[in-house]
This record gives sequence, C-alpha cells and structure tokens, in this order.
Amino acid sequence: MADYKRAKWAAWADHIRSLDDPAKSFEKPEALDDLVVIDLSSRSMAGCFCSSLLAELGAETIRIEPPGGDLIRTYSPGGIMVKDTGLAYLQEGRNKHHVTLNMESAEGREIFKSLVGGADVLIETYPAGTMDNWGLGYAELEKLNPRLIMCSITGYGQFGPDSERKLYDYDNVSQARSGIQYCTGEVLPEGKTVKDMPWAVPTKAGPHIAWAVSGTFGAMGILSALYHRGKTGEGQAIDVCTPEAYSRLADYQLMWYAHAGVIAERFGSLDTALWLYGFFPTKDGGVFLGGLRLEMWKAFVDIIGKYDEWKAGEWTTLAPFMKKDWQLKYQSMIDPETRKYTSEELTQKSVEYAKSGRLAPITPVVAEIVSPWKAMHDENWQDRGIFTPVQDPVYGSVLCAQSQWKATETPPRTKWACRPVGYDNGHVYLKYLGYGPAKLKELEGKGII
Amino acid sequence: MTVFRNYAETKNRRPGPLNGIRVLEVCTLLFGPAGPSFLAELGAEVIKIELPPVGDVTRSLNPFGWFYKEQGPMFIHINPDKYYMALDLHIDMAQQIFKELCAKSDVVEFNLRPAVTNRWNIGYEEIKKVNPGIIYIEKNGFGQWGRYAEEDRPSNDGAAQALSGYAWLSSFAGQPPLKQSIWICDVFGAMMGEVAVLSALHYRRRTGKGQYIEMSQSENIMRAMTWAWPYQQVTQKHAEPSGNRDQCICPADTFYCKDGQFVALAAPAPDEFKGLCAAMGKPELAADPRFKDHETRLKDENALAILKIIADWAAGRTADEVERLGVKHGFAASRVFSAKDECEDPHRRARGAVKEIDDPMYGQYIDHEIPINMSKTPPKHRWSVRPVGFDNDYIMTRILGRSEQQLKELYGHGVLGKWKDQQGRRPPSDWDGQSGAILRR
Repeated sequence: MADYKRAKWAAWADHIRSLDDPAKSFEKPEALDDLVVIDLSSRSMAGCFCSSLLAELGAETIRIEPPGGDLIRTYSPGGIMVKDTGLAYLQEGRNKHHVTLNMESAEGREIFKSLVGGADVLIETYPAGTMDNWGLGYAELEKLNPRLIMCSITGYGQFGPDSERKLYDYDNVSQARSGIQYCTGEVLPEGKTVKDMPWAVPTKAGPHIAWAVSGTFGAMGILSALYHRGKTGEGQAIDVCTPEAYSRLADYQLMWYAHAGVIAERFGSLDTALWLYGFFPTKDGGVFLGGLRLEMWKAFVDIIGKYDEWKAGEWTTLAPFMKKDWQLKYQSMIDPETRKYTSEELTQKSVEYAKSGRLAPITPVVAEIVSPWKAMHDENWQDRGIFTPVQDPVYGSVLCAQSQWKATETPPRTKWACRPVGYDNGHVYLKYLGYGPAKLKELEGKGII
Repeated sequence: MTVFRNYAETKNRRPGPLNGIRVLEVCTLLFGPAGPSFLAELGAEVIKIELPPVGDVTRSLNPFGWFYKEQGPMFIHINPDKYYMALDLHIDMAQQIFKELCAKSDVVEFNLRPAVTNRWNIGYEEIKKVNPGIIYIEKNGFGQWGRYAEEDRPSNDGAAQALSGYAWLSSFAGQPPLKQSIWICDVFGAMMGEVAVLSALHYRRRTGKGQYIEMSQSENIMRAMTWAWPYQQVTQKHAEPSGNRDQCICPADTFYCKDGQFVALAAPAPDEFKGLCAAMGKPELAADPRFKDHETRLKDENALAILKIIADWAAGRTADEVERLGVKHGFAASRVFSAKDECEDPHRRARGAVKEIDDPMYGQYIDHEIPINMSKTPPKHRWSVRPVGFDNDYIMTRILGRSEQQLKELYGHGVLGKWKDQQGRRPPSDWDGQSGAILRR
C-alpha cells in the first residue's frame, strides 16, 4: 500500500496487527468448530446470512436445498450466473456443505429428522406453520433432540395475527414494512408530483439489509441460546420476524409518534435529529460532513473560511442548529462553499486541521461518498483484509467481503465461496447417515435427493 | 406454533439466556452503546461507564428539538436496561477501580479512538493480567491499525455510509447518493460486534481463553453489501443503484398507488408470480416467454417490461388492496409503513414487539422490544436509562465492597462523579428523588 505518515502510536498499531491480522486467521482455532448447523432456508436469504456468520466461525454447516436447487440460487443482478449460482448466493454459500433433499416427500422428511438428530442448530425461513404441517415443528423436533436450537426467520413471525399469512419473506417488502423506507428519501418539493420526480419517494436501501439484520439477530439469538444450553443442556425455539428486526434499528421514530404524535418524514440527506450531519456536494461528487459536538461544527466552519463571517466564535450551543429551518438555511450556505473543493481536498483539510487548526485536535468528520467500485479498490480496506478473494476449488477466485472483525483467538474466515447444488450429498449423507453410493443412487432415482 | 402460545404475556416468568454474564461498557454515541444494550436485553448485567459529569453525547441529541422528559429519545432507545456508573478514567485511581471491575466481568466494550485504551492504562494487555478470560472488544471507525486508523480520522455512521459505498448503492440511478434516515452502519456494526462477543464466549467456555476483538463500522456494513462485490469482479463494471427495485429479484419493487400511498411487492417464485398475474387479471403473463422463469425475468429488458405492467396496474389500486390481494393470491406485498403504522400495528402489539415500558424514573412509554423471541429464555427490554453516575454507589458497594467513607473519598478526588445539572444528564424534573435508586433512597 502507498506510504503514509505513521502515527505517534505506531508501535501500538503494529502490536495489535501482529495479534489480529486476518492474514493469519488460518493459523488460529475456530470458535464454533464443535457445532453442526443445518440451514433449510427457502426463498429468503436472511437464513443464509445467519448460517454464513456461524459458518465463518467454524460451524460445520449443512445447507439443504430441494433437488434442482433453491430459488435463492437465481438471485442475481441481470440474472448473471457463475456456473449454476447467482451473485447474491455466491456470497452466502460460504463454508457450507450443500446437499439436496425433497422435503415434500415423506421419506425426505424422515431423512431430515435423522440429520436433525445430530445437529446443534437448525435455521429455517418457511412461512409459519409449514414446518408444523410437515411434522417438523419445534415441538416434534425437540422430542428427537432436546438440545436442538431451532431458529425461524420469517416475514410475519411464529405468532400474532399476521403469522397466519402464508407468505415468504422478501427483503424489499420487509424494508417497506419496517417504517424505515417511509422516512428515507428525497423530499418532494411542493407543487411537484411523483410523476415529475419519481426518485423523490420513500426509498429502500440498495443492499439486502433487512435480511442481513434479521439474520444477524438470529445469530445473536442462537449464540445466546448456546450459552444457556451450555449451562442447562436444554435447546429451544427462536423466532425472528424480519420487519420487526429491521425496525429495531430505527431510533426515535416510534417514541416520537407515540409521545409527540409526530410522524418522521423524509429529510433527504440531512438528519432529522443531528447537526452537523449530512451529505454535501463537492467539485467532483459529494462528501459526508459530521460534527456532533459544537466544536466540531465550528472547526468545519473554520475550514471553509467562514468562522468570522458566520460569527462561529459566538455560538454556545448546537441546539438551535438541529431545528428544521436552521438546517435548511445552513445547508444552502454550506453547499456553495463545499463545491469549491474536490472531495479529496476537503478530506485532507480535515486531517490537516486536526494537527494545526485553531481548534485542533478537534476536527469535523469528512468522508467522500464513494461508489462500491472505489470502496473495493481502497487500499485501506484491502490492507485490512476485507476484499481478499477466496480461492474456491469450483468457482475460482471469488471476491467476498470478509474479515468484518479482527480477533486474536478465533477470527471469522472464509474457506470456500459456495458449492454447486447437491455437491456434498456423497460426503454429508455418508458421514452423518452412513448412506453409500448405492443408497444415494436409489434416493436419487426416487427424486428424494 | 404452540411453542410460542401466550409468549408475550408470559415472558417475564423466565430469565434471559445471558443471565449471569457481566459486561462493562465505556462507550458513547451509537455504535458503541447499541451493542451492550442487546446483551442487557438478553439478560446480561451491563454497567455503562461514562465520564463525569456530562457523559454520553447522545444525551443531547433530539429530533427537531423534541425531548422525552428532558432526555434525548435516541439515548433512551439505544441505552436501556443498563446500570449507570460515572468514573473518570483519566485518573489512575479510576483506572485501578476499572481493573477491579474487569477482574469480575466477562466482557468489556469500548468505542474510543485507536490507542486511547493503551494511554489510559486499560489496554487489552493490562486487563488480561487481571482477567485472562476477558472478552475485550474495541469498536470505532477504522480499527486499531491501517492508514485511516493511523491518520486518526474521526468517523461516525454517516462517514461509514459514505466510505463503504452503501449510500451510493441506495439511491436512484442518475441521482446523488442518498443518506439513510437511520444510523444503519452504527447499529448493524454493533450487532455484529455482539455476534463476535458471543462466539468468543462460546470459545471461552470450551477453552477458558478470552480474546481481543476490534472492528470498524464501515467494514461491517460492507459485509452486508453482498452481491455488489462479485458483481464488480465478474463484470468489471460498477455496481449501480436502482432505487426501490431489487436488482437480484424480479419482480421486486415499490409502486405508487391511487390513494397516494406506496406498496412494496415481490413475486419471484413460480407460484408467487402466477398469483400476481392472476391478481392483475392477466394470467397469460405467467406463460409469456419473457417472464417464463426467474432467470429470464431478471434480464434487464424483461424486468423493466414486467415492472411497467405492475406499476400501471398498481396505480389503479390502493396500497391496502394490493396487500390484501397478495394474501389472497400468495405473493409478498406490504404498504410502506410509517412510524404511525408501526406503532398502531395490531400484529406488533400482539407480539409485544412494540411495547409499553413501565419505568420508575421515566414512567410508562412506548419502545421497541428486542426482536428475538426465545421459547425457554425470553429476552426482554425491562427498564429505561438513568442520569450520569446514578448507580455508582450500588455498583461500588455490591461488586467491590467499598464503604460509605471510601466512596466519599472517591467522590472527593473526582474519581467517581455524578451528573451535571444539565438537560439529559440530570433526572427528569418530575422525579421524586427516590424512584429507581437501588441501594439508598
């Protein structure tokens, strides 16, 4: 990576890196390598995200698909496929063994029960009631394996009036039902219609974030249940409902309505509750500016040379700046100033200000709003191991975001990206159920695997 | 299904799964404190340590000037179910007390700039000496090493949205990048932090070993941007934003309805797509060669064609009508919910997902429950936030056995502190001077 000026505390940085550099992950033990996880997700990737987190930590993870593969395999921009797999699944097949099993057949369900008998965790995403109708609800499975932790992640949950809806969980629908899409997006100016400005509408996040969030809450529940099981030996059922899970990440909006009667509305790229906090234009794009303490806001005003003109020295509190009309007023005053610089120039000004500015070391947060392309090529993240490609025996070199945290003892790691449909039937059924080639051929003939 | 019968009504009968775990937090704003709150709701004892007398910056934050009982509503939302201690960690005596607490804790969490814990003599190596099993996590913008960390760049959620490409991917094509209305990178990163902590706890149970964990909120959100990375690798093109359309699934988009509301809809599976075509009164579309299977439908020209057909149809319906047709014909659809819809949703109320907290200091108010339901060990949001240093005496007496005289000295030296007489730091003005206090009233 390009040279940079080392910090005064570079020895600390080097020391920590020597302990937790992801480049050394494979030299270390794995936190969950004593566990067997079964992932029976269908249509929703929340379950696959959840099982990926466990698989990255070493759990032996068996992904069950129907013969021919799950619909999830086809999720991909423009329908692009790498061998038999779409790009969304190419990220979440990681470290998993892939088997096929026809859950619609009674024999398939018996085989499933045998697998569950030896498993620690089961993850599923069918609409509530599906597993019960198959005779595979938690009440049944608990009898086979009282230590089992069964996590269901769905669009409407396992109980409550809407759980009767027999509908699958899709990320965009769950984002809509969370309350977050409603208050995210550009403001439609008065006198304009949605036809005039079709982008000034409630806007969802681009990535499958509702799924990632419910999957992560699922993992949190599973790991907590493991702790409880370690003390008592008992497993349990876990219910995560995706729109609720994503809603929990909204902050004051629920209280604001419940206790002040105010419905949070869209506010573009400013923030209803924070100042200085928003996106501003530059000569070559835009930057995020942040200064949640008065001094940081003053430091920013100093950087753009308006400290005296705007009388920043006289400001004693940030409170009035949080009001809507002040935010809009200052936004229109800041815009022409930030347009004078490139994003890189403003970023460097902030770094420099921390060293030599009038309020140093206080400085505002300045961050260029980059495309994922630029992020992927940013040497800082590459150096931190985020974009180290996985060398997959079947799919070749695959770029998966990984090493999302660093750890001295049991860091997460990605060993392979994915497996084709049914690729591990031979290995998994032999290992867990003793089925050899003859038996597998018979099952295949009957359409069970 | 019977497993969760009467779940919301009976959840208080059983403790959460992390009962017996003790967590110390030295965190401010959102990325830091959000994580330990989840552990608290899962049953852990979480002690929030603030710097006296002002404490956490979030106590000042508010939407357009609105406070709930003089407290920042986001502080209330981000910090429930904790014990509140104020210890000035700049002072060596406070650092000693902190180490004594660490010796009796399982997890310790920080969100400070890199190398600050080391400067305060409470870095991992120091704490490991008093508790080799400790799980020690540091969360911040850029981690503890690497260029951005060493440049000591400040960061926060908005910076992570900008630097990760998340905002760029969350707008409409041809429009400027859009900031999310929520602090997604903060809270998602915080959640991932607890996955890291809980997995380390499992490892500790097996081996007795603790560990050190560090993370950046940008790196975590990039983990959630799944398909963008292999897309760029495979096509050598930029991943492009696509507004409300899910590029990986077709049809999946948000549509404008005749009542001025919006409805989101998804129907990629054969049964769902057939159901949608039937609901639109155009069953023949399901057999149209352009739409015959999901992969074919995802091709750009086909996707745009079917989305246009759905948009024209939805424009003649109300959002609720489309949602009802989804239930009838078996495809996913939901009106775009506002905070009002969420608050009044009978389903969320029946599940206890939106619930009334009954707090000795802040009274009865509405907040989210932790969205994890567990049949044997239900996690729960129980109480609200407290003023800076509110539980000092309780913690110091119960855990460290300090006497009243010793506490007096610690206050005298400024090691322990209490709230400044300032909004958000002090108790609400209607407080009776007693409610919520544990040891002494």
